[in-house]
Amino acid sequence: MKAFAYVNPANEKDAVAALKTDGIAMPLGGGQDLLARMKDYIDSPDRVVNVKNALEATAIATPDGGMKIGAAMKIVDLAEHAQIAKMYPAVSAAAIEIGTPQIRHVGTVGGNVNQRPRCWYFRNEEFVCYKKGGSRCFAVEGENQFHAIFGNDGPSHIVHPSSLAVPFVAYGAKFRVVGPNGEREVPAAEYFTLPTIQNVLKENVLGDEELFTHVILPAPGNVKSGHYEVRYKQSHDWPLAFSTVVLTMNGSTIQSARVVLGAVAPVPWRSEDAERALAGKPLNEQTAAQAGEAAVRAAKPLSGNAYKIQIAKTAVKRAVMNAAGMKTV
Amino acid sequence: MAESQGRGNQTPESPEVKALAKKYAWPEKPALLSTRVKRLDGPDKVSGRAKYTYDINRPGMIYGKIVRSPYPHARVVSVDMSAAEKAPGFKAGLTYKEPGTQVMYQGDPVAAVACDTEEHALDASRLVRVRYEQLPHFANEDQAMKPDAPVVFTGGNTKMGATEETGSVDDGFKQAAHVVEATYSTQVITHVCLETHGTVCEWEGDKLTAWVSTQAVHGTKDGFVRGLNIPASNVRVITQYMGGGFGSKFSPDAQGLICAKLAQQAKAPVKLMLDRKEEHLDTGNRPSAFAHIRAGVSVDGRLTAFDGQSWGTGGAGATSGFPLPYIYDFPNRRRTHKDVYINAGQQRAMRAPGHPQGCFLTEILMDELADRVKMDPVEFRIKNLPPAAPNAAWGEYFAIGAKEFGWDKRHPTGDPTPGPIKTGFGTSAHRWGGGGRGTKAHCDIASDGSVVMKCGTQDLGTGTRTVVAVVTAETLGLPVSAVHPEIGDTNYPVSGGSGGSTTAASISPALRLTAGKALDALAAKVAPHLGVEASTLTASNGRVHVAGNPSKGMAWKDACKLIGTEPISVDGEWAEGLSSTGTSGVQFTEVTVDIETGIVKVKRVLTVQDCGLIVDRLTAESQVHGGIIGAINFALFEDRILDRNTGQMVNPNMEWYLVAGMSDIPQIDMHLVDSPVQRARGVIGIGEPPTVSTAAAIANAVRNATGVTIRSLPLQPYKILQAIEQEKAGGTL
Amino acid sequence: MGPKDDFPEKERFSVSRRDFLKTAGVGSLATAVTAVGVAEAEAQTGPRVVGPGEVPVSLMVNGKRLDLKIEPRVTLLDALRNRADLTGNKRVCDRGTCGACTMIVDGRTLYSCSTLAVDVEGKQIRTVDGLANGATLHPVQQAFFDHDSLMCGFCTPGFVMATVALLEKYPNPTRDQARHELDGNICRCGTFVRIMEAALSVKGVARG
Repeated sequence: MKAFAYVNPANEKDAVAALKTDGIAMPLGGGQDLLARMKDYIDSPDRVVNVKNALEATAIATPDGGMKIGAAMKIVDLAEHAQIAKMYPAVSAAAIEIGTPQIRHVGTVGGNVNQRPRCWYFRNEEFVCYKKGGSRCFAVEGENQFHAIFGNDGPSHIVHPSSLAVPFVAYGAKFRVVGPNGEREVPAAEYFTLPTIQNVLKENVLGDEELFTHVILPAPGNVKSGHYEVRYKQSHDWPLAFSTVVLTMNGSTIQSARVVLGAVAPVPWRSEDAERALAGKPLNEQTAAQAGEAAVRAAKPLSGNAYKIQIAKTAVKRAVMNAAGMKTV
Repeated sequence: MAESQGRGNQTPESPEVKALAKKYAWPEKPALLSTRVKRLDGPDKVSGRAKYTYDINRPGMIYGKIVRSPYPHARVVSVDMSAAEKAPGFKAGLTYKEPGTQVMYQGDPVAAVACDTEEHALDASRLVRVRYEQLPHFANEDQAMKPDAPVVFTGGNTKMGATEETGSVDDGFKQAAHVVEATYSTQVITHVCLETHGTVCEWEGDKLTAWVSTQAVHGTKDGFVRGLNIPASNVRVITQYMGGGFGSKFSPDAQGLICAKLAQQAKAPVKLMLDRKEEHLDTGNRPSAFAHIRAGVSVDGRLTAFDGQSWGTGGAGATSGFPLPYIYDFPNRRRTHKDVYINAGQQRAMRAPGHPQGCFLTEILMDELADRVKMDPVEFRIKNLPPAAPNAAWGEYFAIGAKEFGWDKRHPTGDPTPGPIKTGFGTSAHRWGGGGRGTKAHCDIASDGSVVMKCGTQDLGTGTRTVVAVVTAETLGLPVSAVHPEIGDTNYPVSGGSGGSTTAASISPALRLTAGKALDALAAKVAPHLGVEASTLTASNGRVHVAGNPSKGMAWKDACKLIGTEPISVDGEWAEGLSSTGTSGVQFTEVTVDIETGIVKVKRVLTVQDCGLIVDRLTAESQVHGGIIGAINFALFEDRILDRNTGQMVNPNMEWYLVAGMSDIPQIDMHLVDSPVQRARGVIGIGEPPTVSTAAAIANAVRNATGVTIRSLPLQPYKILQAIEQEKAGGTL
Repeated sequence: MGPKDDFPEKERFSVSRRDFLKTAGVGSLATAVTAVGVAEAEAQTGPRVVGPGEVPVSLMVNGKRLDLKIEPRVTLLDALRNRADLTGNKRVCDRGTCGACTMIVDGRTLYSCSTLAVDVEGKQIRTVDGLANGATLHPVQQAFFDHDSLMCGFCTPGFVMATVALLEKYPNPTRDQARHELDGNICRCGTFVRIMEAALSVKGVARG
């Protein structure tokens, strides 16, 4: 890593102030992403701001029946939080699959949502791609077996790496962000950005001097939610595709659904096709399969990742089955 | 103290040595051999006390860092060290590739620096300014084999080997009722030693001490001698503990020589350890293997013909051979092999070099042929084995294994069970050489009863240190704790590198005979006190006594009091009769395949494996686990991926270069053959055989589960899904 | 890897979302490394900014206080290995993917290669080096030794610490729990089978 200065603010205000410096300052959560990027010289900040003491690390109930999660909350604490598991089962299900115990012990909610892509062109210094100020995406004609099958208009074809972002979008969460100009709340569904030439250096709307402070989940309502992840190496691997499904029921019929896919697009991918395929249907395996088919209808794979279509289809199908309490493999 | 002599002399054995080998043949009823003896260095390793090369911190030590080519092929135009030399903490630097020379792969070393701290060394290395002129490169075999490909490698981008031919393939195919023709392949994988390659070099005047993570202390010493052009008596290599070699650590390599030169320049000890990326790029790999094969089988299930054209890449200018066909008897066969050069790191021996490739490329074919004649795969294999022998016992092992595994529960190709999870069984066979020679050892017995056995061998984690103690203790009738082994240092007598599964078979005879000689010397002192001939004496259960009459003798400690102030100090060496070569084994696997995702999970592996006389059963069993798990990685996870356009590795880490974790490990059972026949063969070796055939058995199990044939490794989801889709669309099985 | 001359300096580092004037200032490594012992401090109120040069860092390791002088960029792993000769902990992947550097900090395992030393001041750090009680091995270490749960031994310290943490969290773990808690560690020699045997054989590990 390049040498850097380090500061340990004790509150939000000081943390925001510390992010403002003549050089580049970056917030340090669990460090599982930032430090690796720094060791690979993808990022070389002049100043690292430890935000673990400045941000809240717990989840508390909100007056409207939801939950407010501090960005410094550790993944393990989120995964083992009884209330979260009860109210937002897909968040727990996603959290427990993140990384390994060591990663969950220090990784933070804020860090997970804001982590940078795992794309191997992005992570290897030799490839000066769009996201590093270059003028190409090496995945297009290169090794793209783990890249996007949706949202592939370019210029970048990464898949968004956050496991938590998908259930947060599915449950309609908002993110609280503070900066020198005050605070704002951004709906999770609007936080992540599809790449364009103008915004390709980032994956979300967080400003350079802004700090991500909370995830605010609305009251869940009377829903059935399901979550399913497909990954190759079981012990520790990035998912090939995963999905959160939140179903508003009307008796045994699905009234409406939110279907979000992960690891298939540069943003958490909401599938209105799948949602339409679910609405008004009985909650059974056949409906689940139809939702899976619908979810991938508009997929536009790259040269080496068409196989992800089948996997994404399965992830959605099994997430629906999971929501129904049916046994999945 | 022996000068380094490579593998030791191979002059005919003297009558004395022959007699010693006869006298000290392995015991009929050993006290320690073949039992489970706990690893001597276990406590040091579990407590963190064990010092590996990476852990050596010498007074005044500084840190080295190598600058490497980011390009797969380029001419070095200039190397400018000036900015690096001004960097904080800079102590030494050198140019390794002179301007005008070429770098042939990403990771090829170009220059190096040494600084006071590791952080400063990293900073300084990044200030070395190298100008490159990029040249055409090949990122894969197909690119190099194109007819209009530019000549990147002097003498040609490929090299065709001689044709191997037996019988008449034309006649063979005429006799065939069924013919299978297909292309099979395996991928390039890297060794992924957890302790990376590297050294700590310290000069005292013109004498070099090098702590090296190596599997060949004497061979590495030779490497320093030749590479630095210094006298052998000026070099000492030390490796008390090392964190894995798997065939890649036999020499100082570029980093060792660079480290020694930096240490000379800086007049300070230098530690130069590679990082994980460098380890993937420049410390060797298992070459890829491809074969287009046409094979025929008669109506009654006898193999009749094999015609294979194989190729593969060992990287930049390196070979890629492997045995083909493997094991089974094709009476008419023809085979050619072509080495294909690409701009990637060069191959090095990797656990059972060539055999996992040859095995895979043959064993999937065998299941396809078995299906053609509607024979059970085990029955089909047994029918086509070479003649049985103690080192070729597959027929017997298939029968044992099939029974233990429950092979009779196997369904024909394609699991009919409804649902997305399909289960399948697979099998395969393998062989290996092992054996060994050329080791010297030295034994001291002192008057306080202490025993020191010195041997310039090394312990990669295979349990060698424990083998030294077990063989010595067995010979001297002592508990293992009474023997102090000294290894891992070229100050000790010469032994070969730990490769080819030859260590146990090389050192055990030498240790046996050296301890035997020491015992003879002790017996000579004891005999007069007992009023017997020295030749009647032996040692067992902590006593030196007349053979067959334990009460006529004395306790070990009392016997040693007779030694006096000058310890018994004997040199000994390897001799024939206590080891041999050639092992055989078979494996069975059970897998599940989720046909809706293409995910393969291995549920069970069983191996039936021999290894001659088992020295330490506990460590031998661990080696079997290790070999099988390595092969699971080969089958499912590992893949050295180069970007097809830039030729640079996209996964030089342990995030995207996948290696199994706890949740990926199946149930592993083994039947280690410990029979009078195997014991009579002496020590052979077990490190490599268990890793050869698991991948093939897994692939066959996947085929049995899904009904589709995947003919290439690794068995990634996209291959399974594509094959299933093709099959649904009316493709061939 | 050294810099490649055909890429402009500014493209090599993370491209700032700010204007290039600010970026250019950090293009040179030499200027970013200040003199040893100088701590950069904000001129006004607010938390103290330390580094990038060496700063005092005080760590509680295995019950003892360790006073070091290191740059903020030094990881907990490198600080202990290179500056305190606590070499039981190993560096293997250096990217938080293999577990060889696993330590227990404030009761939970983490990858010390992906932790800044300066970030764990004031926390209780336990490493394999402090696990044994003189010559008496910790029950987990003893179990590893007894079951031959090691070969080359380079992954062993990390696995030992992960197993200690597993048993402190689940004193009588199921196989599934053990698997899950040990999934953050990799072994190349293939000791997994016997590590699991050892882990399941240890009963009632007291909090150390």
